[in-house]
Amino acid sequence: MITKKNTMKRVIISLMILLSLGSLTANAQCGEDVLKKALNEMGNGQYIKDFNIDIKSDTKEVKFSIILNSRSQYNFNIVNGSGNGENIVMELLDAGNVLFSTADGGKYITSAGIIIGKTKVYTLKFYTKGGGAGCARAVQSLVKQFTAEEMGN
Amino acid sequence: MLRKISTALFILAGFQVFNACTTCQTQKSKDELTLPDSLVSDAPLKLSEELVGDVVQNISSPVEMAALIKSTGVEFSQKVLNNPDKVTDYNTSFKRALNLGVFSADLGYINIFDKNNIVVSYLLSIKNLAEGIKVGQFFDFNSLKRLATNSNNLDSLMEISVSSFNKMDSYLREQNRSNVSTLIITGAWIEGLYIASNVVEQTNNKELSDRILEQKDILDILLIILNNYNKDENFANLASQIEKLKEAYSKVKITTEVGEPKRLEKDGVLIIVQNEISHIEASPETMKAIMQEIKNIRQSIIE
Repeated sequence: MITKKNTMKRVIISLMILLSLGSLTANAQCGEDVLKKALNEMGNGQYIKDFNIDIKSDTKEVKFSIILNSRSQYNFNIVNGSGNGENIVMELLDAGNVLFSTADGGKYITSAGIIIGKTKVYTLKFYTKGGGAGCARAVQSLVKQFTAEEMGN
Repeated sequence: MLRKISTALFILAGFQVFNACTTCQTQKSKDELTLPDSLVSDAPLKLSEELVGDVVQNISSPVEMAALIKSTGVEFSQKVLNNPDKVTDYNTSFKRALNLGVFSADLGYINIFDKNNIVVSYLLSIKNLAEGIKVGQFFDFNSLKRLATNSNNLDSLMEISVSSFNKMDSYLREQNRSNVSTLIITGAWIEGLYIASNVVEQTNNKELSDRILEQKDILDILLIILNNYNKDENFANLASQIEKLKEAYSKVKITTEVGEPKRLEKDGVLIIVQNEISHIEASPETMKAIMQEIKNIRQSIIE
């Protein structure tokens, strides 16, 4: 009888663990709450776009091609999902060259700005250093548009 | 007893898995394409669906162009916008998608100038056009209308309307309907340039002129994407109109001075200054020819 009770307990506990894991997997993507946080943290700029980042264990990185306009200052901020084992790094690249990285000089930052000199396609790249899975929401906002004079053109 | 509990838990587990997949099933059932099938599946993908979607999604931000227009100090003019009453005339998916883009640019312009007295009619046009191409679920008209009628909520209105367009765009790309996205973005791009051209004609503003001229590079990308779907006659016609615009742009000279980016910190935020300067040269005749082509394309989209 005792053995039967113990077996029953084990089965129930195992299934409960399985159910919890299933629930975690089902909600792996970052939802509206994370986006709201990112929007709240974007500062005083004009919201332009948000990015939904979902890095799975077999996905090394997520990339977005974006067009940024000359003489414009943009801000990019990121909010990681609460279940992330490690922070997702956000990088802005121009033809493969990193313009900024949120893993800057060994410390992790959640926001970075860029003043663009030339209108063209740039790449926004997201990855985890350790290759772990995770999710995040990032927001692009327009901070300021400069005149040619202000930019020294 | 053990069997009953186990069965109950397995049923619960089943529900969990079902629950996790509900969203994708809902999306599939809603994906009733109104564009001809040939546009959906037969596009000879010279560019991957991913690349088309990624580039298209940011080819034009109506908000950025509208903000630049406002910075010139020019007054708001409703005359330059498309007429919301025309929506019922757009009875093909092709026209609806293009004009959804046009109205999205108009909405950005209206929002930036805080013209909440006319915003509702434009939101209604957007809702009707979006429903016509089966993406109406992304526009909660009642919430948007509520925000629009309260001037304190205009920032939220802008945020939610831009966000609705972004969600719609992501959905279209997820559903391999980048062809529809391409049309919306083309419409928005042309409308932004059309409004800007009108302001340049009035003010001869250099920032706006430069913004119009530097679209030379963006135009090439758009043309490649449109040509991706040129098996369809409508797409081919639109691409040929954009080709004419490209011809007008051919006399624009853009040179770039390359320098090392600079780093600075402001209020604790890292800011990179891209030390790359582009110089744009174009004669007044070239500018005039470009603006005329923009007007021609815009006219054929809205008529």
